[in-house]
Amino acid sequence: MTAYLEVCGVTHNFGGLQALNDCAFAISQGGITCLVGPNGAGKTTIFNVITGFLRPDTGRVGFRGRTLSGLAPQAIVHAGIARSFQNLRLFTDLTACDNVMLALPDRAGETPFGALFRPFATARSDRRRRADALERLDHVGLAARADERVRNLSYGEQKLLTIARLLATGAELLLLDEPASGLAAGALDQVMVLLRRLRGEGKTLLVVEHNTRVVQQIADEVLFLHQGHLLAQGPPARIIADPALAEIYFGGAL
Amino acid sequence: MDYFYSYLILAEIYTLLGLSTNLLVGVVGIFSVSQAAVFGVGAYIVGDFLLAGTLSFLPALAVAALACILLNVLISLPSLRVAGDYFVVTSFGIQLLATATFTNWTAGTGGANGMPGVPPPDLLGLPIESTRGILAVTTVATLVACLAFWLILRAPFGRLLKAIREDESAVAAAGKGVLSAKVSAAALAGAFAGVAGGLYATYLSFIDPSSFDLDASILLLTMVVVGGARTLAGSIFGPFLLLALPQVLTFVAIPTTYAATARQLVYGALLIAFALFRPQGLLGERL
Repeated sequence: MTAYLEVCGVTHNFGGLQALNDCAFAISQGGITCLVGPNGAGKTTIFNVITGFLRPDTGRVGFRGRTLSGLAPQAIVHAGIARSFQNLRLFTDLTACDNVMLALPDRAGETPFGALFRPFATARSDRRRRADALERLDHVGLAARADERVRNLSYGEQKLLTIARLLATGAELLLLDEPASGLAAGALDQVMVLLRRLRGEGKTLLVVEHNTRVVQQIADEVLFLHQGHLLAQGPPARIIADPALAEIYFGGAL
Repeated sequence: MDYFYSYLILAEIYTLLGLSTNLLVGVVGIFSVSQAAVFGVGAYIVGDFLLAGTLSFLPALAVAALACILLNVLISLPSLRVAGDYFVVTSFGIQLLATATFTNWTAGTGGANGMPGVPPPDLLGLPIESTRGILAVTTVATLVACLAFWLILRAPFGRLLKAIREDESAVAAAGKGVLSAKVSAAALAGAFAGVAGGLYATYLSFIDPSSFDLDASILLLTMVVVGGARTLAGSIFGPFLLLALPQVLTFVAIPTTYAATARQLVYGALLIAFALFRPQGLLGERL
């Protein structure tokens, strides 16, 4: 049986810095996998490699038995993998609804030809798209803020919006880069409930997370990355209880 | 009255250029300082064809638009590789290259002496000599361009372009192509500038490199900054206001030899003042 997402021997250097060193792991479909490790372990770098933002020096990424290496980021989204960013990267001048509408896979009216020569069909399809987007916003509890410009939303709302935008792509494997960081307790719980609900709806989630409490509560499996290499993989209780890993994570041992 | 018509014609031609610059710089964020060069190529192509008598006005205008589409796509291509400040430098170089070509390629442009005697526009073989006739032509062209700009801004295509201006990586992560959208926007901006060039050459009947130099490119940027980025109203208001200024300045008692300098001074001061105190322009958004 082939793995759902498979990372094989991926190495990537930034100049003299080895960000990923023969990184290899596989995750199965369904469930929430948390990617943990100390700062600089290569967590965001492996996200960038999987989603096509970085081309690895060596190694390959496979998804549902298909090799993704060499595909452009948008092609990887079409293949079914979408990612969020640690620094959100929302379109802050646009409304919340526009942010979500932009990520919907429908491409009608996205060329000048459609916009100029089929204005009525474009307007009609955009109304459908808006209804779709509102549904996604409702899913994360932001429907009431749909027409607010993103820069007027609170940080917690912006984090929820990145998840709504991720959902809009229609991807089945979602890569979330620190979806819970910087949130107050209430918003944190809201995000955790949302992530569990997405798992229940059949999405597969790969989540970079620093907060061990969050990891314990949401993860089905944990990947421990250190110096660009997978050090351990297993259920959260075992990984968190491992004194050697705790030493690396908190103690800065080499 | 003709004096007023003449103002309207020029303001409309510059509205076409304002729409072109706003689409590229304001909407997509490709910070071009060489839009006047594209304008110039459109003007010289139409001038050359009409002077040689090989094409009539509309086919010549179509050729000019097509050439400017290709040219604008070509000169916008570096923006796919170099972002922000670096693209400005590239674009600056392109503008200098264009000015040098307009000034020195005597066979194609008449060089620094300019290109005199460009025939007036004609429709179906009938020359349009009257100012009012030409005003009608420029008005139709401007209305069509305004409609196109409006349709684009409200379509998903416009949303995609605005998103690209803010964050290209996020657009790619949303599964959308950045390259094709940027190329399409550059093509449209090129078509607007090309048509503006053709109208300008046939209306003035004399063109020279000074209309298509760096100062002209910066004037176009000033129009977008003053009018306001990313809105139709701003793209129209900027050119109409800035072209009215020289007329207003004629009421101020300055010797005519300093008139051009005074105009540049006012444009420069306006650009600085708006950038500092009203970055969203009069009727638009922040650049």
